[in-house]
Amino acid sequence: MAEFSVIGKPMPMTDARAKVTGLGKYTDDLVVPGMLVGKMLHSPYPHARIQRIDTTRAEALPGVKAVATGRDAPNPYGILPIGHDERVFQTDKVRYIGDNVAAVAATSAELAEQALALIEVEYEPLPAVFDPLAAMQVENPEHWIHSNKPRNIEKEYHHVFGDVARGFAEAEIVHAERFYAGEVTHAAMEPHATLAVWEPEERLTVYSSTQVPYYLQRTLSNVCEMPMSRIRVVKPLVGGGFGGKSEVIPLEVAAAVLAKKARRPVKITYTREEVFYAHRGRPISYIDLKVGITREGRITAVEARMVQDGGAYCGYGPVTVLYSGNLLHAIYDIPAARYDGYRVLTNKPACGAMRGHGTVNMRFAFECMLDVLAEMAGLDPAELRRRNLLRAPCVTANQLRVTSYGLPECIERVVERSGWAAKRGKLPFGRGIGMACSHYVSGAANPIIRSNLPHTTVYIKVDRDAGITVYTGASEIGQGSDTIQVQIVAEVLGVRPERIRLVAADTELTPVDLGSYSSRVTFMAGNACLEAARNLRTQLFEAAAKKLGCAPEALQAREERIFSRHDPQRALSFEEAVATALEAQGTLVAKGTYAPPEEARGGTFKGAGVGPSPAYSYSAQTAEVSVDPETGQLTVHRIVVAHDCGRALNPLTVEGQVEGSVYMGFGQAVQEEMLWRNGRLMNPSLLEYRIPTTLETPLIESILVESQDPEGPFGAKEAGEGSLAATLPAIASAVYDAVGVRIHSLPITPEKILAALQEKQRRAAPSQTGNSGGHSGGRP
Amino acid sequence: MEKILLQLRVNGETRQVAVPPNKLLLDVLREDLGLTGSKRGCDDSSCGCCAVLIDGTPMLSCVALAASYVGAEILTVEGLAPPGELHPVQEGFAVSGGAQCGYCTPGFLITTKALLDRNPHPTLEEIREALSSNLCRCTGYMQIYESVRLALERWAQAPRAAGARPSAAEGRD
Amino acid sequence: MTLPAFSLVRPQTVAEALRVLQEAAPGQAKIVAGGTDLIPNLQMKLYAPQLVVDIKGIVALRGIEWSPRQGLQIGALTTLAELEHAPVVREQFPVLAEAVAAVAGPLQRNMGTIGGNLCLETRCLWYNQSEFWRRALGGCLKLPMPNPHAALSRTICHVAPGGKFCWAVWSGDSAPALLTLDAEVEIAGPRGRVRRPLRDFYKNDGMDRIALGPDELLTAVHVPAHAAGRRGTYRKLRIRNSIDYPLAGVAVTMEVDREGICRAARVAIAAVNPAPLLVPQAETLLVGKKASPELIEEVARATTRTGKPLTTSVSTPEYRREMLRVFTRRALQTCWHNPGRAEHEHNSGD
Repeated sequence: MAEFSVIGKPMPMTDARAKVTGLGKYTDDLVVPGMLVGKMLHSPYPHARIQRIDTTRAEALPGVKAVATGRDAPNPYGILPIGHDERVFQTDKVRYIGDNVAAVAATSAELAEQALALIEVEYEPLPAVFDPLAAMQVENPEHWIHSNKPRNIEKEYHHVFGDVARGFAEAEIVHAERFYAGEVTHAAMEPHATLAVWEPEERLTVYSSTQVPYYLQRTLSNVCEMPMSRIRVVKPLVGGGFGGKSEVIPLEVAAAVLAKKARRPVKITYTREEVFYAHRGRPISYIDLKVGITREGRITAVEARMVQDGGAYCGYGPVTVLYSGNLLHAIYDIPAARYDGYRVLTNKPACGAMRGHGTVNMRFAFECMLDVLAEMAGLDPAELRRRNLLRAPCVTANQLRVTSYGLPECIERVVERSGWAAKRGKLPFGRGIGMACSHYVSGAANPIIRSNLPHTTVYIKVDRDAGITVYTGASEIGQGSDTIQVQIVAEVLGVRPERIRLVAADTELTPVDLGSYSSRVTFMAGNACLEAARNLRTQLFEAAAKKLGCAPEALQAREERIFSRHDPQRALSFEEAVATALEAQGTLVAKGTYAPPEEARGGTFKGAGVGPSPAYSYSAQTAEVSVDPETGQLTVHRIVVAHDCGRALNPLTVEGQVEGSVYMGFGQAVQEEMLWRNGRLMNPSLLEYRIPTTLETPLIESILVESQDPEGPFGAKEAGEGSLAATLPAIASAVYDAVGVRIHSLPITPEKILAALQEKQRRAAPSQTGNSGGHSGGRP
Repeated sequence: MEKILLQLRVNGETRQVAVPPNKLLLDVLREDLGLTGSKRGCDDSSCGCCAVLIDGTPMLSCVALAASYVGAEILTVEGLAPPGELHPVQEGFAVSGGAQCGYCTPGFLITTKALLDRNPHPTLEEIREALSSNLCRCTGYMQIYESVRLALERWAQAPRAAGARPSAAEGRD
Repeated sequence: MTLPAFSLVRPQTVAEALRVLQEAAPGQAKIVAGGTDLIPNLQMKLYAPQLVVDIKGIVALRGIEWSPRQGLQIGALTTLAELEHAPVVREQFPVLAEAVAAVAGPLQRNMGTIGGNLCLETRCLWYNQSEFWRRALGGCLKLPMPNPHAALSRTICHVAPGGKFCWAVWSGDSAPALLTLDAEVEIAGPRGRVRRPLRDFYKNDGMDRIALGPDELLTAVHVPAHAAGRRGTYRKLRIRNSIDYPLAGVAVTMEVDREGICRAARVAIAAVNPAPLLVPQAETLLVGKKASPELIEEVARATTRTGKPLTTSVSTPEYRREMLRVFTRRALQTCWHNPGRAEHEHNSGD
């Protein structure tokens, strides 16, 4: 008999039918009687003092039911306890083009737009800064974006682990270089939407496209000055998040404030342009990286400096910059590292968490660096990585605990599948193959709001007809987490998944889960499901054991039966077992919780809270490309990716997550970039912000590596983010293999490739060294 | 703005709506006819989430004035199969992971149906070309190709009664 | 985003359409066919017409007709998809088939028409933006948006500050191909129908792009019989292989005799000027000559001199100019060395 009945088998998502019939409801699909349309007024200035706001003309417009400004919602908020610097509507000053000033609720979209035009706002423009390096130089406190953040530095961290000086002294090859990454955004297909319904009992029900219903409930409680128990947050289907819906977005608060003021339901749906202003994407990053290795290729020391352009508000910023530093570790064996990270405020929309949060740009730099160092040491890039592997279980220099480590297998599998040995350095000019690795957390070991409470709780109840209901706070956003939870419960209880109904992400019905971010749901909600299902199974076994006349420990649940493992004929059907248990107990309910173990929570230094995770996923990738040397045009043909997900609970959805990560990495690598001119976003649309179509996207071959994490549910770890970061440097490495130029600035556009090729030609021309393989040489 | 009375043919039914002349087909479907399967993902006809079949051809309902399509046969995702049933294309996307968050899915289903109606044996390159106006942010497209392939299989096997088979496939058995 | 309020008329004949256009207040009517250009522009409030004239119901404007004597006549409402798949276009006018197949993506081509594609609004990153965006900017030369809040706001060209000329680029794919086929447009107006060379249709002015009066309607495109069978190819610079407007486009057609001598040649470019333009020197340089790398490079350089890309798009002007050169060279090489389908058939029939 196979080890599992449900686990490890491809299973279509539980909500697939709702999605393919078009009958599933996303927030903007919801309609309630009397619903008003909400629209928001945004700042046309990147930085300005608000002198006066007059809403009287807007309020007088027939059909306008509420106009809200900062006076209606004065309490500040923010996703991090240390960063409560946002207000839904600004009162003192605006800090980016698109910042929020007011909102109206009216009986139609046209009227709401007309009303916005009638709101009079007087601004006094202030000097604005758009570049983080310049922002850090602003001395005049009057011009700081937030008066309590001198020189616009939101947060800085300085970490030293091990003896860095000695590490560099021992190094035989040292290379330093500056890397740059442009700004990218999630571009989930569903624009944000929120429907806030004011209930007659003076309660608020909020349906929202959110990854974090619980944090939204908390924030609304704070801003609307209502107890959480009077606010219900419901997450309908969500059309993709990728981090863009993982903190409270202004429209969510605005809709609630308007609904409360109008005592009517109000729906706000962002235009695509507004989605770009809501942003919270991956920041522009300047990375200075220096790495030393021995002649044999062992890393001896790392020095990294990261400056991130965080935009005008804190958001997840400190977490982003900490991930960049702390997750330098836990992938390779790095004995000594220094990290200086700066999160800087600028007059642009706030950045935040985006798939691969904080790790992607630093990983790009680091893996590109390994490519350079491998060449300097005369080593194959795969071999250099082999020489720097961790020996798990272990604890890293910065106190991250690694419990399972499938990276070695990932590397070998992609080397084999891609034909690496026959291709690297051997393909004709214009064609190349590259490699890189990455990793990610399976949930943060420390909650955003520090406490010892469980990170997630799951309830299960069984009805008299033996139908099972799972109540989970976890938020399905398209990644398949509902399905994984159903599979886990089905496996433990030995029932068909169809027997289970999952009720999720409704704060009135479901227990607290912190949300869908940092790839935590399979690991954490999965473990809570596992515990809840086991608790329930214990009750069933006790009742069944009495009936069957055997010890509960001898029983097993599988394929809709509960039976003695010594005498499988001694059995009850699942229904019989439920009936027996109900007769004995009256009810059949169970709970499960999960909090990461103490040992997983990391060190005690300042900033140690970000990076620790109960487990890390690993990824290795190869990218095969061609480059047209006359146009610089880059075609990525094929990406082979091996992802260590611990165990693939559902190979179908795991592959979907891995391929989706590669896709998003590909987009950032070659064509996505938010273009700014003086704080003005030049491409706030899906026409000009170019997420890849079917025609550029490479074919992706995914390989699942199962390292069996000792603490993951059935050994599982995360699958949805860890494979993103490797895609970018793998492509950069392939470009180098193809045409001999290193592009260390993202995105790798044809223009940059062409310029580098021309530069290389210019340099080669006088001496004619013919060193086509020589790297372009970065300057620190 | 004064409303005009329109008779639209949607999913095989004649529906009457009173809407202003500037109302887009997408909004009439979603707001006046309760057919919220078609989605809005952008504001400049560049994402494909709103695709519907108009006289059998996939088009973007977000740039179509509703009044311009009086007399046309409009098919939305809700009309792909009779209630309670799934069209082979829907089955393919449900089973093979073509729908992750599902927001782009109706547009992909519509475009895929049109492709298979026209070309029951598309190559991978033809599938990629036909779907290249539809953006998906979740899948990386691989499982969408798988879904199309499965749809083809199911379609070839679909019982005659479902009426969901391409004519070319009918000739084969 | 909402659409501005307007009334809609759906004329069924050209005469009816012309009457409606004539009766409308000057500048207050907009014509819509496929909607892929006009509707987003309306949502961005680039215009606020009182009247929108939906001409899709005019059956007479549909369809492709071909005769070896009369040439090719394409009704203005012919969709780009129809044109792309029409056998006669693929066989006799490959440059056109390639160019229309390169427009946006398949869904847009199912809606977009040849008439609409030829009449595209010019595009600029500073112009094709929402009302909010442009108001925050203070508008531009093409569409001033006085911002009552902004003391600094003045209406300038953000691409060429200080200039009085609008550099918004004409960003279609079909026109350069049709220019290389010596196409004419048929325009119906109060004084009847006239045919005009396509090259005279474009005014090379970002603000006032085409020679089409407010009371006129583009009804058809004619490609003369003598252009049939010409070798041709179209090269488009874009970032994505679908959906995108061109960042530069090069169309080339050529007749080459059995000795490999060029007997006729046209090179046209788009998406780098406020009009699609024929490269004037190309014909003189090429006709009567055999292919040589030097000659091809010379024509490619002439092409880059015709193109005047500025910072109207996400790609830099320098790169777009350089790609004009590379694309022209490649297109010329393709044409010179690869007989078209029509020639193949013609030769095998000898």
